[in-house]
Amino acid sequence: MLVPRKYHSLIVAAVLLILSLAILSYSASRLSETWFLRKTVLEAAAPAEDAINISLKGLHDAWKRYFFLVGLEDENRRLRKQNASLSDQLNLYREGHIEGMRLRKLLNLTEGLPNRTVAARVVDRSRTSLFKMILINKGSADGLRVGLPVLSEQGVVGRIIETSWHASQVLLLIDENSNIDALIQGSRAQGILQGAGAAGCSLKYISRVEEVQAGDVVLSSGLAGVFPKGLLLGVVTNASRSGEGLFQKIDVAPAVDFGKLEEVIALILNVETGK
Amino acid sequence: MIYYLLLPVLLLLLVIVQITILELFSLGLIGMELSLIVVIYAGFHLDALRGGILSLLLGFFMDCLTSGIFGLYMFLYVLIFCISMIVEGKVYARKLVLIASFTGFCMLLEGLLIVLLYRFVFGANILYAMLKIFIPQAVVLGILSPLIFGLLQRFEVFLHAENRRPAQRI
Repeated sequence: MLVPRKYHSLIVAAVLLILSLAILSYSASRLSETWFLRKTVLEAAAPAEDAINISLKGLHDAWKRYFFLVGLEDENRRLRKQNASLSDQLNLYREGHIEGMRLRKLLNLTEGLPNRTVAARVVDRSRTSLFKMILINKGSADGLRVGLPVLSEQGVVGRIIETSWHASQVLLLIDENSNIDALIQGSRAQGILQGAGAAGCSLKYISRVEEVQAGDVVLSSGLAGVFPKGLLLGVVTNASRSGEGLFQKIDVAPAVDFGKLEEVIALILNVETGK
Repeated sequence: MIYYLLLPVLLLLLVIVQITILELFSLGLIGMELSLIVVIYAGFHLDALRGGILSLLLGFFMDCLTSGIFGLYMFLYVLIFCISMIVEGKVYARKLVLIASFTGFCMLLEGLLIVLLYRFVFGANILYAMLKIFIPQAVVLGILSPLIFGLLQRFEVFLHAENRRPAQRI
């Protein structure tokens, strides 16, 4: 062997460190299409995550609905069972009604958009992670690709950062890594809407001379080509000129309630031209 | 050979369980990054090649399923694996207190590196995450790590037992 045995560990560690650092610096500097291996992992994991989430929900529901009935008298049990069954039925109808209303809103939104759209269901979301993302059940087989904008009936949700054939990861606009060209509807002042995690978003690079106040609506400006112009992003909650610097400090509450997202639509457009 | 065949499947399962069941049981309050404990265990118990590949694969799955920046966890896990190997060579890495405190330290190091990456590469200040996410995670993982180390040791013994060839009858 050319290399003494005592240096083997050192060489392996150095090679792995350099390799991982190279991958990190490559992917941090550009928006690239999802690699085949990543697609495969996402494709394999999405149904498993979906199945686990559905099973856990089923277990949770079963626990809540039936287990506390154990130990009651027969009559009471029968009545409660009947009640639970009726409640289930009612819940089912109510869920169907609410779902129908949500889908109708989505359909209305879809009809108002010039681009082709793909409706998708949210199958998982990061609950505690630093990264604010959701997993949807549509992928490249449905025409989705990295960079496409994702909306709900309330407004902009985020953009796709990874796709496999039948699943995609969506980076929410509240993620610190999310930057969207935005403008304030009233004053037309343009800036960058950056995610701020649980705090919502902050609108950056708005000059101190611009008049901005709480309640102003923030829309996508369409400049970077990822999001079409005029999509609702959020509402200004606080604007402050205190502190040094040329720009104001503006907090924005996103239009979308990410905790309650169930269905979304992805806009199929040309990422380079934004059309 | 069985190690390299089983490894990707087991690690993918670990990450899926981590981001679904464990997140649910933690009530959405604290992320249980058990994968980090596995990487530290690999640094303490496995050779450079086996442990390095384990860390890289685990980081890859984490990047695919949870990270917004591809390559982030691969780099962090390989780095933590290397640090664990160095520590294992310098001290007696079987003491429970050392395992717990070193796990907490690695979690904080991971958090600090993510905060710095966001600050200097993406221009975002997420210092709040140190207090709200990484310090509680470091405490929880530190407490859990001796238990997980024990489970992993049993699993390792089980694997070796499977690999051991039975004595030939004369």
